[in-house]
Amino acid sequence: MAAFIQFTFMRAAMALITLLTVSLIVFTLMEMVPGNCAERYLAFKNTQGAQITIDDIKAEERRLGLDKPFIIRWGQWVGNVFLKGEFGDSCILRLNINQLLKDKFWISLGICMTALFVAYLIAVPIGMISATSNNPLTNHSLRFISYLGLALPNFLLALIIMLLSTVLFGDSLTGLFSKEFRDAAWSWARLQDFLSRAWLPIFILGWSATAFALQTVRALMLDEVGKLYVTAASARGISGRRLLWRYPARHALGPVINSLGFDLNRIFNELPIVALILTLTESGALLIEALARSNDQQLAGAIIFLLTASIVFLNFITDIMLALMDPRVRRGLMG
Amino acid sequence: MTSTTANPTAADQKLKEAYFTASQGQLIWSRFKSDRTAMIAGWALILMVLTGVFAAPLSPYDPTIAGRDKNYENGAPQIPKFWDENGFSARPFIYSTERQRSIQTNFRWVTTINRDKRRYVQFFVEDWEYSLFSFEWDLPGKTFDFEVKLLTFNTHLFGVDEGGIHLFGTDASGKDIYSRTLHAVYTSLAVGTIGVMISFILALVIGGVAGYFGGWIDSVLQMLTDAVRTVPAIPLFMALAAFIPAEWSSETRFFFISIILGLVGWPTLARRIRTHLLTERSQEYVLAAELCGASSSHVIRKHLLPSFTSYIIVDLMISFPYAVRSETALSFIGLGLKDPVNSLGALMQNVSKADVLLNYQWYFIPVIFFIALVLAFVFVGDGLRDAADPYSGTKK
Repeated sequence: MAAFIQFTFMRAAMALITLLTVSLIVFTLMEMVPGNCAERYLAFKNTQGAQITIDDIKAEERRLGLDKPFIIRWGQWVGNVFLKGEFGDSCILRLNINQLLKDKFWISLGICMTALFVAYLIAVPIGMISATSNNPLTNHSLRFISYLGLALPNFLLALIIMLLSTVLFGDSLTGLFSKEFRDAAWSWARLQDFLSRAWLPIFILGWSATAFALQTVRALMLDEVGKLYVTAASARGISGRRLLWRYPARHALGPVINSLGFDLNRIFNELPIVALILTLTESGALLIEALARSNDQQLAGAIIFLLTASIVFLNFITDIMLALMDPRVRRGLMG
Repeated sequence: MTSTTANPTAADQKLKEAYFTASQGQLIWSRFKSDRTAMIAGWALILMVLTGVFAAPLSPYDPTIAGRDKNYENGAPQIPKFWDENGFSARPFIYSTERQRSIQTNFRWVTTINRDKRRYVQFFVEDWEYSLFSFEWDLPGKTFDFEVKLLTFNTHLFGVDEGGIHLFGTDASGKDIYSRTLHAVYTSLAVGTIGVMISFILALVIGGVAGYFGGWIDSVLQMLTDAVRTVPAIPLFMALAAFIPAEWSSETRFFFISIILGLVGWPTLARRIRTHLLTERSQEYVLAAELCGASSSHVIRKHLLPSFTSYIIVDLMISFPYAVRSETALSFIGLGLKDPVNSLGALMQNVSKADVLLNYQWYFIPVIFFIALVLAFVFVGDGLRDAADPYSGTKK
């Protein structure tokens, strides 16, 4: 038990180091944008009719702490993020980023996690069936579907569905809320409205994730099914689904759990584009807005950091889960 | 092995000899040839690369605004025919179109097809000038700009005697979608190639150093690699692409986007190279070379690199579709390439408009090329991976 706690601490420390490195990358990106917050604030005042001098900018920089060296400012940013969960203000929108993001980030994360969950819910049983069946038709069609999942970009799928629904139902199914619920507080009716629309982004995001997961599960099962311990088990009279679940699946699904973090990464990759097409109002759309239109690096940095943090967190959880499930991993990691 | 066959014929012997003395490349090629899907995909890929490279001579019109057909905006695809109710013609033809606006059409431009007036397709027509080899270096500022244009021609594969021919239709400003698609294939491939090359060099250096030296250098580099790998690539691309000032020329943009693709894409390959080097460098043959007094650069170049060249090639092939996809995604959002550079993503920017979805479905034709390109790369990459794996035949 002590060894397990030690392993957990080690993994947590590694996750923290990764997050620190990521925060350095993100912060550097934010800093590289020409012009700083002081100039932006005062440029805004300038549009309101105030006269601005160089000294005003210098004073504003001092007030915001922008005259300190890069490393110290990074330290402050990281400290605020890690200890207080505070991302500061967006200097273009002049709003607190936490307030701006709060709901939207959780909605995005919820959609992506659900898509991931649905993908594996479909991929695990079908992948196992296709690995054990000798029917060439099943195998070929599954292979084809997986490749299509890789090649057919998600936004194209979204477009096709939009086209069909516009023609058939006269509603483009875009957005996350109907008009009357857009700014309302969370309630049962709003949740229902949300769910009636969220299935489309979940389906679209889950589409290529399913294709990837299907390929992974199938390949891993194929590797395990032919091994001797499976033959031995079936010689003892275990057969059918019981055999598959108890023996090869337990080995094959280990690496699958391990790769969940990277699947989430892939889904996050698709999120901004799908958000753009379906005009979702969540953090993917906000990210595009921040980067492509307003060049708001504080907001963009916060979103990218949050997305990465959720991947790192998922990786941490899956590693712990794997160690709990598989004694070999535990022993291997703890030497 | 040979002792098991009782009486080998000369031909058998020769085949066997060829097999045992074959180089790694020959073995991979012979395995690759037997994979039918991969071979077909390979031919399709070569065909697409060639159409991309020879986009200018193959397309009848300039893909930029200079080549627009102002009398045929948002025009439907025109498919050449050999016969109709007015008789047969050995030379393929299309119908001429007329555009008019009057009180009957509610003062909007309406294009009508005149089935009695034919436009005959001509081959090897002379039109706008292009260079097969052109290089333009256009950095911000004037001092470093230079331009090379070689092999300048003005012959195009086909055209019509009068008016225009638009196989894939035209877009809102009258630009020929067929010409744009061919040029876009070239641009997307070029961006992908430069991006993959940059990430390859980065991966080779970083992964190589980490794997060869090990120790604390390895730990630090691994930390960096892991961190970059965890950040979702497309948001990171977007953040980097947002730096491009709006006033940069489209060629500079093109270069910058390729560099971004390279800067973000290296970690996976770097990790693989590192792992491979770590296992390989403790092998006996490396030890033998070191004992003979070989320097580390000699060991890396002559012993370690050749041991996994095939894996690197396969990895490059597999990372190609991702580079093309990333470029498309970036351009689609509007952060990547822009007019007048034609890339597949830039062409797809327009398809999400409701107007296009309902009325101008031929805007989707470039999408087919995109899917075909990505599929071809995926199939060839998979085929190469199986072919390069010496145990692929023994696995089930």
